[in-house]
Amino acid sequence: MTAPFMPGVLAASAPFYQLDAFGYPVAMALATLLGIGFGYTLERAGFSRAPVLAAEFYGRDMRVLKVMFTAIATTAVGLALLGGIGWVDLAALKIPETWLWPQLVGGLLLGMGFIMAGYCPGTSVVAAGSGYSDGLLTLVGVIVGSIVFGFAYPSLAHFYESSAMGVATLPKLTGLPWAVLAALIVVVALGSFLLAEKVERVFAKKDAAEPPPGNAPTRNRVLGGLAVAAGLSLVTLLVPAKTPPVAAEPRTTPITATELAREIAADRASLYVVDARSPKECATARIPGAMCLTDKDPGGKFIDKLPNTRPLVVYAAAGVRELPVGASGYKGQVRVLAGGYAAWKASVLGKPAPPHKPTAAAVKAYRERAALHAHFTGTNAPVVVTAKPVAVKRAVKKGGGC
Amino acid sequence: MADTAKPLDATTQRPDAGDTSRADWNPYVAGIALGLVLLASYVLMGFGLGASSAAARVGYAAAHAVAPAAIDHNAYMAPYVAGNPFEDWMVFEVIGVLLGGILAAYAGGRLMRRPTLLKGPRASVGYRIVFALGGGALMGFAARLARGCTSGQALTGGAVLSLGAWVFMFAVFAGGYMLAPFVRRMWR
Repeated sequence: MTAPFMPGVLAASAPFYQLDAFGYPVAMALATLLGIGFGYTLERAGFSRAPVLAAEFYGRDMRVLKVMFTAIATTAVGLALLGGIGWVDLAALKIPETWLWPQLVGGLLLGMGFIMAGYCPGTSVVAAGSGYSDGLLTLVGVIVGSIVFGFAYPSLAHFYESSAMGVATLPKLTGLPWAVLAALIVVVALGSFLLAEKVERVFAKKDAAEPPPGNAPTRNRVLGGLAVAAGLSLVTLLVPAKTPPVAAEPRTTPITATELAREIAADRASLYVVDARSPKECATARIPGAMCLTDKDPGGKFIDKLPNTRPLVVYAAAGVRELPVGASGYKGQVRVLAGGYAAWKASVLGKPAPPHKPTAAAVKAYRERAALHAHFTGTNAPVVVTAKPVAVKRAVKKGGGC
Repeated sequence: MADTAKPLDATTQRPDAGDTSRADWNPYVAGIALGLVLLASYVLMGFGLGASSAAARVGYAAAHAVAPAAIDHNAYMAPYVAGNPFEDWMVFEVIGVLLGGILAAYAGGRLMRRPTLLKGPRASVGYRIVFALGGGALMGFAARLARGCTSGQALTGGAVLSLGAWVFMFAVFAGGYMLAPFVRRMWR
C-alpha cells in the first residue's frame, strides 16, 4: 500500500473546532464564510426560484433530488476517505440524534409545506436575498410556524420526546463500516439519477417539450469521481490500523479552577457554567453565574438549547464522572472543571498562602490568586511585602453580538 | 433581467429568460459544490449546516420583545432567549447564506431590482401569497418537530449517515409528492 492511505500515519487533527484548535470568534467567522458558500451554491443550483424547486414534484426537473443526493454522497465519501487516512476523527463529529416518529411526521409535514410554498427554509433565505417576494413570505411563514410550535409545545412535548434513539447511525445499526455505506450511497445515487432522468424524459414527451439538458456526460464524470474516492476509502479499510484506536472518552478538555476564575472575573458572559450537582447543593452555594439542574430536568436538557457559541463548563462536587445528558448534545466546546466544586473552594474561595520563596513567578501567581480570591469573596488576602496588591483587570466587554 | 413588479409566469417565461450571462449550474456539479461546503463544515467545525433554527431563534427573540413573560414561561422557547439569542453559530451561518445568495444572484446578473413574485401561470397572486405564508408556517412548525429542516436534518444528517435524517428525508419527498397533485394549480 502507498503511504498516504495508511491509517494511523496521520494524527487526527480534524474536526478542528471539536478538538479545540480555535475558539468561538474564529468559529463565528467560519459560520459566516460557510454560510456564504452554502447560499452561493444554492443560488447557482437554481434553488432561489420556487418554480424550479416545485418542478421536482411534477417530474419535470428532478434537480432537487440530483443536487441533494450528489451533495450527501460527496460529503459521506469525503468523510470516509479523510476518516480512513486518519486525518478526521469521525467519532468526534456531532451527528444529529434520532427521534424516529417526530422526524417521520415532521418530514411529511415539511414536504407538504415545501410544495405549497415552493421553497424549503434554507432556499427561502436565498430567494428573499435574490429579490423574490414569495421567498420572503415563506421565510416569514417559517418564523411564524416556529413560534406556533413553541406555544403548542406543552401539549406536544410527549410526542416530541418519543421514540428517542440517541445517535443512531447506519454504521451502528448495520454493523457495516462507514466507507462501505458511503460507497453504497454512491451506487444508490446513480440508480436514482438514472430513474429521475427517465421520469424527466417521460414527462417531457407528454408535454411535447425538451427534457432538461442532457446531463449524461457530467453525471458520469461526477459519479465516476465519487466512485474512485469511495474505492480509495474502501482501500483504507484493508490496511490494518497501525495504532489501536483510542478508547472513546468524552470529548471534553479540563479547565482548572484558577483558569475558570480568571475567565469569569474577566467576562462572565464568555462562557456557560453548569452545576451538575443536585439542585439543592447548587441552590446553597455555586460558582457565580452557574446554572443549576432542576428536579424537573435532572438531565439538563436545557443545555442542548443554549446557543453553542460559548464554551460550556460543567462541574460536579469533585470530578465529573458523567456529563449531564443535555451536555452531550452541546455543539460548542465542553470543558470540565478539574476537581469540581471542591477545587473551586480550595483554590479560589480559600485564602491563598503567600509564597515561601518570593521568586518572580511565585509572586506573580500569588498575586493573581489573591486578586481572584478578593474578587470572588470580597476579602483581601495577605499582601506580599515586595508586591503592591493588584486589582483584577476587567477585560473589555465584547459588544453585544448582533 | 426581469425588471418588473408584475408577477412572472415561471413556466412560460423563466425569470432568467433572455439572461445569457449564465444559466444554472448542472445539478450534479452543484451537488459536488454543495457537498464540499458541507464537508468543509464537518472538517472545520465537526458539525454541519442548517437554516430553520436561525429563523426560529429570530422569531423567539421577536416574540420575547413583544411578550417577554409568555416566552420566559414556555419550556421550549425560554432557553432560546436566555442570553443573547443572536449569539449563535447558526444565526451567523444563515446571515452568510443570505449574503452568499445575494452575491451569486448579483454575479449572475439575476438579482431582482424590484420585489418579484414567482408563481405558476394559472395561480393568482392572492393564492400564491397565502400558500407561501401557509407553506412556510407548516415548514416552520415541522422543522421544530423534526429538530431540523432539509438543510440541518436531511442534508447534514444524511451525509453523516444518521438514521433519523434518512427517515426524515424520505418523509419530505413523500409529503411533497403526496400533496403535489392537490396544489397543481399553483405551479402548472
